[in-house]
Amino acid sequence: MKSTSDFRAILAVTHKELLGSIRDRQTAIYTLVLPICLYPIVFWIMIQGFLLVQGQKERTPVEVGLAAMRPEALAEGIHKALTRREPGEPLQSANVVRLESLPGPLDAEGARAWIEGGDRDPLSPEEAEEGRPDAVLFLPTPSDGDEERAQLYYYSTQSRSEIARERIAGRLPTFVAGLRSAAAREAGQDPQELEPVTVRRTNFAPRRDEGAVMLSVILPLLMVVMAVMGAFFPAVDLTAGEKERGTAETTMLLPVPRAAVHQGKILAVCTTAVLATFLNLLALGLSAEHLLAMLSASADVTIELPLLALLAVMPLALLFAFFVSAVLTGFAGLAASFKEGQALLGPVQMIFILPAMVGVIPGIKLSLGWAFVPVVNVVLAFRAMLIAEPLYLEYAVTAGALLLYAWIAIRVAVRLLSRESVTMAGSTIPIRRLLTTLRGTGGTD
Amino acid sequence: MQTEALAIRAEALTKAFEDPQRGTVQAVRELDMECRFGEIYGLLGPNGAGKTTTLRMLGTILAPTSGKALVDGVDVAADPLEVRRRIGFLSSSTGLYPRLTARETLDYFGRLHGMDEQTLAVRVDELIDLFAIRSFQDGRCEGLSTGQRQRVSIARAVLHDPPVLVLDEPTTGLDILASSDMIDFIESRRTDGRCVLFSTHILSEAERLCDRIGVISEGRLLAVGTLEELRQRTGEHWLEDVFKALVRGVAPDPAPRDVGKLGAAP
Repeated sequence: MKSTSDFRAILAVTHKELLGSIRDRQTAIYTLVLPICLYPIVFWIMIQGFLLVQGQKERTPVEVGLAAMRPEALAEGIHKALTRREPGEPLQSANVVRLESLPGPLDAEGARAWIEGGDRDPLSPEEAEEGRPDAVLFLPTPSDGDEERAQLYYYSTQSRSEIARERIAGRLPTFVAGLRSAAAREAGQDPQELEPVTVRRTNFAPRRDEGAVMLSVILPLLMVVMAVMGAFFPAVDLTAGEKERGTAETTMLLPVPRAAVHQGKILAVCTTAVLATFLNLLALGLSAEHLLAMLSASADVTIELPLLALLAVMPLALLFAFFVSAVLTGFAGLAASFKEGQALLGPVQMIFILPAMVGVIPGIKLSLGWAFVPVVNVVLAFRAMLIAEPLYLEYAVTAGALLLYAWIAIRVAVRLLSRESVTMAGSTIPIRRLLTTLRGTGGTD
Repeated sequence: MQTEALAIRAEALTKAFEDPQRGTVQAVRELDMECRFGEIYGLLGPNGAGKTTTLRMLGTILAPTSGKALVDGVDVAADPLEVRRRIGFLSSSTGLYPRLTARETLDYFGRLHGMDEQTLAVRVDELIDLFAIRSFQDGRCEGLSTGQRQRVSIARAVLHDPPVLVLDEPTTGLDILASSDMIDFIESRRTDGRCVLFSTHILSEAERLCDRIGVISEGRLLAVGTLEELRQRTGEHWLEDVFKALVRGVAPDPAPRDVGKLGAAP
């Protein structure tokens, strides 16, 4: 018999562990079934829910009580402003504001009494028909030196009242600007002087680019979460799970170097992490045409799955998957059972998720400095790739840093998993004893 | 097959563990022993005596703290890989991978032993027939009965035809038929000229199988010899009484370290 090369041994161990992992129901569900089936379904339900709520909100007519001590013409003007239909808005009853006027002064108590109207249910449309408003707008008559302002009374805890506030807040500024302009003209002034700076926004960004920016916030975080989720169960299963199943000692009898066995395990974990990431993106891609199109319509931007950016990020994703897999496998090796492994990795996975969240904060961009910060670097690099920023040096440094961190993580994990005190431990080793365990002796090749 | 006259030689073999609660625990203390080819050597001792730790050191699962051990002339600390190629190891804690089938398990170990595909296929088929595994060869190990698992485990341990077989309490948890099969298998290894070292606390097994018996307690080898020699030393007839006399210190072996120095070993 000839001896097996380390590389062949690593591949043989990886093949065996992958076979075992795929046959494990829990790993198969989290690695294969979830990405393919559940995520698109969940996203679809979420989007449908969002659209339903949005549509419901738009279709809800609200009643606004208007108390005005102003001249009739003004009251009529505000009436028009509040009940106007936005240009291009469909004729059906979307965004409807019905008004009930009360000519005379009104204080907060009066407004509350008007809105509450006794023990009515303010969410009931039937009650609204009875003329009890969801919000009350009071316009006092201004007098010289009087700083009294218009008052808006509403309940933020009641959905109809909140919708009424939103609609008033959206429509009132135009009316107020009109009043100011009219007053200025009456006084013989140029209305422009009252508003020395008028900002008119012109967005040159193509809708597609806006979509890319939106994706650049979502996808990098999703990639990190998917890689961690994909590695989580195999990492526990191949280490703590093996101890629990009583096969750790069997594995130690394999006639290949222990390092090759552990590297094979890490490669198996990494493969499932990459598989989970790839399947998630694929599932997202396949459902994108339908689901993202709905988001596009709602967000007024064009969202397309950026295939080139996804391909470009693959090498980084692969290095990151190695890094995640080595860290999770190393930590999971400290546990004595599958359950304890899950409990142990719960907090550990946060060392990836939290930096990933930092990486999506607006304003933070990939720089040479950030390129050295693990996790944040891959998130920022993916973000930059999604919006096609040509930061080639930073990408290269990110790749180099990830390679280095993955290599260190693999070395540390292999060393840890080779310790006798880890492989033969009858109980879970606390994380606080990690360094002592690493420094310890004991263990054969 | 074997390259050395002695299958196993250990000199001053010691294993200490660091325990957070108990401090340093001496599991095996300067143990000397030798096992020959064509011999069945039984290691007897009460629970916690150091039997399993000794066997694990010989199987390269644990590294000795000090001392030296050679398996078929190969140092367990210097070349553990070569030792694993020359040893077949089986214990209650060397379970089968539950999600692999019996055949996949044998294929996996065979490949890692460097067997080419053709040799492997022939050898696996041979073992499948020898241990009557064929009817359940494609069933996952998690679904096999205890006896079926034991047969697959034995096949796994001897797949590479090792000259030395180390068995840690091989009949523990087995029913009468499976135990009987295991005893037959151990006996068959002696006739093949190989060495079997096994630990047990079932005295009847030791009495029936062992050419020589080593009694171990608190990490020390108290006595070594044939059953007859141990009887003479203790003045007891039944092995149970011999064992009790040795463990309770009634008749300690005046010179249990009856092996030569290992300095010249490769």
